[in-house]
Amino acid sequence: MFSALLRRELVTPLRRRRMIAFQIAIAALFTLLIAARWPTGGQVAVMGERSQQIFRLFTYGLMATMLLLLPVFPASSIVSEKISGTLGLLLNTPLGSVRIFIAKLLASLSLAGMILAMSLPAAGACYSMGGLSLYEEIGKVYLLLGLVALLYTAVGLLISSYSQSVDSSIRITYGFVLVTGILAMGPHYFFQGTVGSLAKYGEMLRCISPLAALATLTGAEDIGGQGLMTTTDVMGRFTVWALACSLVASIWTTRRLNHKIFDRSRAAGTMSDDLSKSGQLIRRLFFLVDPQKRSKQIPSFLNPVMVKEFRSRKFGRLHWLMRLVAVCAMLSLGLTYATTAGTFDWGVETIGGIMVVMQVALIVLIAPSLSAILLSTERERRAWQLLQTTPMSIPRIIIGKLFSAILPLILLLGATMPGYLVMAYIEPGMSLQVQRVLICLLLTAIFAMSCSAAVGVFFSRSAPAIACAYSVLLSICCLPLLVWMGRDAPFGHDVVESALSFSSIAAAFSVIRMPGFDHYDLIPANWWFLGVGSVFSLLVLTGWTYKISRPQ
Amino acid sequence: MSETASPADSGETPVLDIRNLTKRYGSFTALNDLTLSLNAGQILGLIGPNGAGKTTTIKILVGLSRPTSGTATIGGVDCVADARQVKRLVGYMPDKFGSYDNMRVSEYLDFFGAAFGMPAAERASRIEEVMGMTNTEYMKDRFVESLSHGMQQRVGLARTLLHDPKVLILDEPVNGLDPQSRIEMRDLLIELAAQGKTLVVTSHILPELARICQQVAIVTNGTLRAFGTVEEIGSQVSQQRTIEAHILKANHVTPAAKVIRKSIEPDAEVLEAHGEKTVRFRTALSEAHLAQILRRLVKVGVHVSQFREVQTDLEEAFMSFTNSPPPVIDDESIAGEEEATAGATTDV
Repeated sequence: MFSALLRRELVTPLRRRRMIAFQIAIAALFTLLIAARWPTGGQVAVMGERSQQIFRLFTYGLMATMLLLLPVFPASSIVSEKISGTLGLLLNTPLGSVRIFIAKLLASLSLAGMILAMSLPAAGACYSMGGLSLYEEIGKVYLLLGLVALLYTAVGLLISSYSQSVDSSIRITYGFVLVTGILAMGPHYFFQGTVGSLAKYGEMLRCISPLAALATLTGAEDIGGQGLMTTTDVMGRFTVWALACSLVASIWTTRRLNHKIFDRSRAAGTMSDDLSKSGQLIRRLFFLVDPQKRSKQIPSFLNPVMVKEFRSRKFGRLHWLMRLVAVCAMLSLGLTYATTAGTFDWGVETIGGIMVVMQVALIVLIAPSLSAILLSTERERRAWQLLQTTPMSIPRIIIGKLFSAILPLILLLGATMPGYLVMAYIEPGMSLQVQRVLICLLLTAIFAMSCSAAVGVFFSRSAPAIACAYSVLLSICCLPLLVWMGRDAPFGHDVVESALSFSSIAAAFSVIRMPGFDHYDLIPANWWFLGVGSVFSLLVLTGWTYKISRPQ
Repeated sequence: MSETASPADSGETPVLDIRNLTKRYGSFTALNDLTLSLNAGQILGLIGPNGAGKTTTIKILVGLSRPTSGTATIGGVDCVADARQVKRLVGYMPDKFGSYDNMRVSEYLDFFGAAFGMPAAERASRIEEVMGMTNTEYMKDRFVESLSHGMQQRVGLARTLLHDPKVLILDEPVNGLDPQSRIEMRDLLIELAAQGKTLVVTSHILPELARICQQVAIVTNGTLRAFGTVEEIGSQVSQQRTIEAHILKANHVTPAAKVIRKSIEPDAEVLEAHGEKTVRFRTALSEAHLAQILRRLVKVGVHVSQFREVQTDLEEAFMSFTNSPPPVIDDESIAGEEEATAGATTDV
């Protein structure tokens, strides 16, 4: 019975054409990577320098694949079964929660194992070029990748067990990956080389990032490492963190897999309007915009689809947007104030860098979950044919949907404006840079929205739409950074600059003169890319929407 | 086409007019030369097995599909050429609800009202009106995704009525409703028809349809097999009658069924109900042949207390048309069979 469950969890998804295409693409990517750098002459360097350079790139590519693609499977696993009702059937079998959990965990891990297995020939090629230790380098990297798979699968399953919709589960899981994988390295970057508890905590926090562990294993400089080396056993600490976190998440999820997972009463539809005056006042003070207040009618001058999109999103409701905007505004002002008051000895460029990272992270995290599901959710919920039976035209529907995605993003960007204004006030010479950064961010937001919407329109279910949009967007933003990591060797300045021109985050860094990016001139090439990419994406979105709306 | 359904003889211009509608997907014909029409204030029950072509017909009417040939008009407006105009004339309620997350019922209805371009002031009063009609006022603050199936059906009907369409096309409207709600829904549909609205209703609960529909269309394999009132449909299937024989003793049921099987068409269905002490069979045989069967039953010693035709209802008519046509049996073969089975039944 257990093997039947495992077969259903693993073999069934593998039969899909998309999965086969994905596997072929992965194998081709690794093969190309090695083939491109394979020595063409009859000589190989004795020190294996070239082999190490390729191996470094290859492992970062492999890590990116694991971080970008793997989380979607556990994140959608339990919640999609809960929605479709099959989880109830499973819990009614004699399998028990432990075996159900193990089957789901093993299925995701087997998938990860398959990706790793497909990379083995490429790893073998690196090894055969010499200069690499089988255990110390190749073996440990694969161990790390295995731990990464275990950690994010266990956490993804836990998040999935709590989520009520597939898209929220995927969004939170990717958020966790982003925070633990990339943002966790932030404090170390800013406090390294200093003395005190902040530096210590920054160092500890860095150890939960698999990228930091990979950097130490491959001997590469940390992203933003500023040339400083530490003696911390990052790999050892990451191993402890990954195993402990996986164990806790596994036990937690197993305990959640029982009938109580369905124990949710239907919302009673309580409205603040029906409360006493004092009750209404308290709620108004707490929420500012009360989500339980009866909403007004959609004004005739507004696009109804836009309003509907806002109302049908949990985070689309005004009170959530206001909270997010307030946090962004306070954080940006706080950072700027701390620097001005001399609390931190950071330059304006560094503060700008932090703000850029935060904003791009927010855009990359939020844009796909808003835009990729614009049409797929309608189709999944069978609401698309209802929309089609209204007299609304396709352009009006698309415009309403796009506005519902771009407005929150612009609102978030606008929230950090005070921080940038203070920055320009402190350093008047930076006003041009600030303007350029803001243009970069605005274009990034438009591109992220249109690209995600264009990717999502090809799917009739929201889970794969979001996953694919995240993968595409993160690939465009982050993969050029892999090339940047190989700057000087094996890639020259021109190659790195060309690659970085595709990354909006790199463009913003170069504009703000962030250390490591200040030698590259990425504007206006990046703006052209984002502009053309956005227009192309919007054309794809419109064309495909017409195609699926055409009477059969 | 096996059947052509004309509008009522009243001479009115039909509200719904389908002429020679054909839809092909490659070599597969989903709808074959369908012709039917319907006057204002009538309720048409569209029935047929799964894959019969009901949904294809509905999709063409609401502009979600294009016919390969033929025309369909609603209120004189072509469903294909003027698809946008037709949307204002038709209210469509699909079998799946089509919900949105985090939206309350009042917001949901407000959105669809706005999508139909209703001015805000008119929309507010209309929403109240349709919620009153569908008895959904008490749900207005509930989230649509948290409603039960029955509640969703009623909200779906309210949404369909919002823009006051001339024609309502309802796909399985009573599906999943409890008996009380079903009665309410039935009354509501009759009331809407009385207001002059034309309704096309599909349902698998045929007794429900029989109670509310003035017209019934039976579609199988994309072809209209029968059209008319329930009574007319019944008469159209009269060549396939259901005969029931009540047997006095339970142990005579099987021998009686044996005699009947040998006396009627070889493929005809014969049902033995030992508990009820009845044998029920469907046949196209004449009265004279039925009299012979009865005589033979009596002759072999079966005590028959009743031998009667069961009134054809919509379910039976439906079954009659969806099953394969009965073989034509001539009188000579029956006479021959009679002689051959006479000996076999003497052991009763």
